[in-house]
Amino acid sequence: MRDVYVLGIGQTIFGKHPDKTVSDLGAAAVLAAVKDAEISPKEFQAAYCGTMFSPPTPVQSILIRLGVDRIPMYTVENACASGSSAVHLLYKDIALGACEVGVALGVESLSAYNRKFGKGLLAIEGDLQGQIGLTMPAYFAKLCNRLMQERGATLEDICYPSVKNHKAGMTNPYSQYKKELTFADIMASPMIVDPITLLQCSPQSDGAAAVILCTEEYFRKHNKKSNRSPVKISGSVISVSGAEDASYDPLALRSLIEGAKAVCEMAGVDAEKDINLVELHDAFSGEELAAYEMLGLCKPGEGVAFARSGAAQLGGRCPVNPSGGLLSMGHPLGASGVRVVADVTRQLWGEAGPNQVQEAKVGMAQMLGGVLTNIESAVVAGVHILVK
Amino acid sequence: MSQKLFYPGALDEKDGKLMQMGNKCKNCEKTSFPAVELCPFCSSEDLEKVPLSIEGTVFSFSITRVPVGPFKPPIIGAYIDLPEGTRVFGQIHADEEQVNTGMKVRVRTGVLWTEKDGTEVLGYYYVPVGVQCGGIK
Repeated sequence: MRDVYVLGIGQTIFGKHPDKTVSDLGAAAVLAAVKDAEISPKEFQAAYCGTMFSPPTPVQSILIRLGVDRIPMYTVENACASGSSAVHLLYKDIALGACEVGVALGVESLSAYNRKFGKGLLAIEGDLQGQIGLTMPAYFAKLCNRLMQERGATLEDICYPSVKNHKAGMTNPYSQYKKELTFADIMASPMIVDPITLLQCSPQSDGAAAVILCTEEYFRKHNKKSNRSPVKISGSVISVSGAEDASYDPLALRSLIEGAKAVCEMAGVDAEKDINLVELHDAFSGEELAAYEMLGLCKPGEGVAFARSGAAQLGGRCPVNPSGGLLSMGHPLGASGVRVVADVTRQLWGEAGPNQVQEAKVGMAQMLGGVLTNIESAVVAGVHILVK
Repeated sequence: MSQKLFYPGALDEKDGKLMQMGNKCKNCEKTSFPAVELCPFCSSEDLEKVPLSIEGTVFSFSITRVPVGPFKPPIIGAYIDLPEGTRVFGQIHADEEQVNTGMKVRVRTGVLWTEKDGTEVLGYYYVPVGVQCGGIK
């Protein structure tokens, strides 16, 4: 396996872009990434695009706008881990010797999706549980209820990630929201699924993100940002759940726990000691609270104590979602998995401005998604470790 | 009046009543619902169509306060654990104060909603054990 480096990152501002197509958004993000990397897009030898609800062949429609043609291109869907999957597949191509440099991007326009299908809670079409009312917030509400029953979490604990992440989003130039929230604000917003209120949910967003990955040799030859410490992807794992029976506890989602363990082993890091920051899938505030222990940032059962100690906030032992996370950044579904890899890279380069985690050397980028019948939900996790 | 199942194959008529039908695997002994091509646990094709237990225990539930598809709030959705070790998702028709984690529920079958063209969509839901009301309101 060859080492894989990040040569450039780019993204659009996340938010409402109703006048922009998926192609507009994707082209803007990839253009930003090639400007950042200071290479020609003609250099790309492979391209992967993560998305859930785009029109067919988004990757070709995006890349031809930059003159990129005649290379293998793929669009991948893997729920909220679609973008993670795009990064993972490009990582593998480079690590295994199939190409030297390529682009992984993610894009989504929920505005376009809503125009087509109408607004509402997302349930999976044709799935048994989806047919009778199981939606994403309904699943995560059960997770919150488990946190309260089994881990002693209070409503303040459940809302804490939303308070923390909205604060961080205030100073992120790419975030959808620039509004600080209190626990009282969050609980006063409309109830969606008890105990999840509107402001515990990530918003509907439009946006795109891109990362350019390459070999060490390519990096040495083409990297013009000599002030940047080289950042490499030291671990990349896509982990899928198993069949579900009554023994399953959503607080101990095996695919996430084993995926996080595997990626740390691959990178040779100890999650509890070595990771300096995490960007993760906080589609719902309580989901982040449940993730701390499953990712190994603390011992099993100690996620609430980890949060209460301030470990997850900027200045804490391991800041989680210093970007503002999905809750404040926004969540253009397919883009988020790429965006978290870009944001961890930005942190390791020391270019995160007021959101900078001091002395960050090792970061984790995680996504989780999909709720289905017959299989433990969430059904797919994508986890990356980046090291400076 | 025309009728259809909310999910083909999830229910079957047995002794004049609609029952939830799963697959019992003769290789690993797991019962899965709904029945799919092979055992989701071990890929065995040595499967037997069986009715699911009619009573189960609420593992976890949530109350949705906004409409979802044809359902009007409050929508009480729950994971129900059955004695055979299967976890089933279903709605509980009851007053929300009656619903608790760990409570026993019993399955009922009937019309879940009526489509615009008048087609009745049949499915299952749960009611608290010992409560006689709790039909569709």
